[in-house]
Amino acid sequence: MIKSDLDLKLLEKCAGCGACFSICPSCITIPGYDPREVIKDILAGEFEKWLESKHIWQCLECHYCLEMCYQHYGFENAMTALRTIATKRGKFPPQVKRGWDMFAKSSRLGDPAMPARKKLGLPEPKKSGKDEFLKLHELVLKAREAENEKKTGTDDE
Amino acid sequence: MKDFAVFWGCTIQARFPFLEKSSRIVFDDFSLPYKEIDGFTCCPEKSLIDNVDHEMFVVTAARNVALADENKVDIVSPCTGCVSNLATVKGELESNPKEKDTVNSLLGEVGREFEGSAKLSHLVPFFHDSVGSHKIKQTIKKNFNGMKISAHYGCHMIRPSHALRNDDPIDPVKYDNLIRTLGAESVETDTKLMCCGQGLDRVDQHDNALHMARMKLKELIKAGADALTVCCPSCFLQFDNNQFLMMREGEKLGLPVIYFTELLGLALGHTPEELGLDLHRVSAEPFLKKWASLTADNQEEINSGLNATGTL
Ligand code: SF4
Ligand code: SF4
Repeated sequence: MIKSDLDLKLLEKCAGCGACFSICPSCITIPGYDPREVIKDILAGEFEKWLESKHIWQCLECHYCLEMCYQHYGFENAMTALRTIATKRGKFPPQVKRGWDMFAKSSRLGDPAMPARKKLGLPEPKKSGKDEFLKLHELVLKAREAENEKKTGTDDE
Repeated sequence: MKDFAVFWGCTIQARFPFLEKSSRIVFDDFSLPYKEIDGFTCCPEKSLIDNVDHEMFVVTAARNVALADENKVDIVSPCTGCVSNLATVKGELESNPKEKDTVNSLLGEVGREFEGSAKLSHLVPFFHDSVGSHKIKQTIKKNFNGMKISAHYGCHMIRPSHALRNDDPIDPVKYDNLIRTLGAESVETDTKLMCCGQGLDRVDQHDNALHMARMKLKELIKAGADALTVCCPSCFLQFDNNQFLMMREGEKLGLPVIYFTELLGLALGHTPEELGLDLHRVSAEPFLKKWASLTADNQEEINSGLNATGTL
C-alpha cells in the first residue's frame, strides 16, 4: 500500500540525507517530531507503528522541505503518505473528521456569517456550488464502489 | 487587465467578513475589474480534505477553476491557502493528461469542463505585479514613513513554487517591496519564512500552535516592529486570535496584526472602522497611535518649512 504512494528510491536518498531537519519548523519547535525516524521505519517496512502517532499530523505541509530539497522531494511526502493511510483506516484527529464531514455535507468549511455581513454593508454572497458538488461526490463514491467490487477477491492490498 | 473573480474562500466569509470588506474597498479604489461569479465551493483546504480523499480534493478544485474558465476570468484571492490549493491541482492536471481526462469526464456530468485557462493569483503578488508600485504610490494619500512593519508571507502564498511560480519560494521579495512602496521599513527577521503554525490547531494540537506563534511574535517585538502584516485568514487567525489567547493568560505580547488590504486601505485614507480594524482581537491602537503621531510630526515639519533635511 505504501509503495504505491511513495517513491522508495527517493526516500532512500532522503534517509541518507536528513538535511531538512534543520529548517523544518516542526522539527525545530516540536519535541519528538522527526521525519528521519519515520522514514527509516518506512524503509524497514515498519510504518504501521506511526499510523496512530500524533507526529504524522505535525507536518504543516508548509512545503519548505520540498523547496529546499535537492531532489524536490521533501520529508512531507512520507508524512502525507502515512496520513493518507491512517485516514483510510479511520484514524484521524477529531478536528480533521469534523472538517471533512462539514465539507462533504455542505461543500464548504463554514457558511458566510450573515449578520456580520449585513452590519458591514457587504452584498449577498454569491450562490454556492453545493448541489453540483454533492452530485460529484456521489459519482466519485459510486465509481469507487464499482472499482472495489471488481477488485474483491483478487487483491487485498 | 483581464477581469477577475475574487475567490474569498470559506474562512474569510465565515469568520472574518471584515477582511472581505477591506479587500473590496481597495479593489474599488484602484478601479480593478473584479466580477462576482456563482458556484464556488471550498477550494478545498488541503490538510483536511486531501489527506482524507485526494480524488475529491482534485475534482472540487478543478470544478472551481472550471467556473473561472467558463466565465473567461482569472482568479485573485486574499487567501494563500485557496490559491495554493487551486494552483496545486491545476498543475497536477496540466502535467497529467490522463488524470485531466478522468476529471473532465466526471465534471462533464454536471456540465463543467476544466481547461485551466484562468490565471490564479494571490492578492499580494497580484498587487505587486499587476497594479504595480508606481500606481500604488500615485494613488495612496498617506504613507507609513517612520513605521516598522514585518511581512509574514504565509507558506502558501509562494509554495509550492512549481505550481505558483510567483516569487522566490525561499527568498521572496514582493510583500517586502509593497511595504516599502507604502513608505514603511520592512523588518527582516530569522523567522521570516517560518510557517505560522495554525495547521496545528486544525489537528487538535493547540499548545504546539501557540508555541509557534509565540516564537515569531517575540522575535518581532524584540526587533521593534510596529506591526505584523499578513494576507491569509489562517495566518491572521494564528497571530491575532491565538496571540489574544496568550495575552489573556498573562503573556506580554500585543503586536498589532494588520491584513495587507487594511494596510493599503489606511494608506488610501480610509478610517480604521471602515476597514474593520476595530474587529481584531489584538488591538491595532498602538500602531495607529504611533502612525498618527508621526503623521502629525511630518505635517508640522511641512508647515514650519523645515524641509531642508531632504527627508521629505
Ligand atoms: S512540509 Fe512538513 S516536514 Fe516539510 S518542512 Fe514543512 S512541516 Fe516540515
Ligand atoms: S527531503 Fe530532500 S533535502 Fe530533505 S532530507 Fe530528504 S532528501 Fe534531504
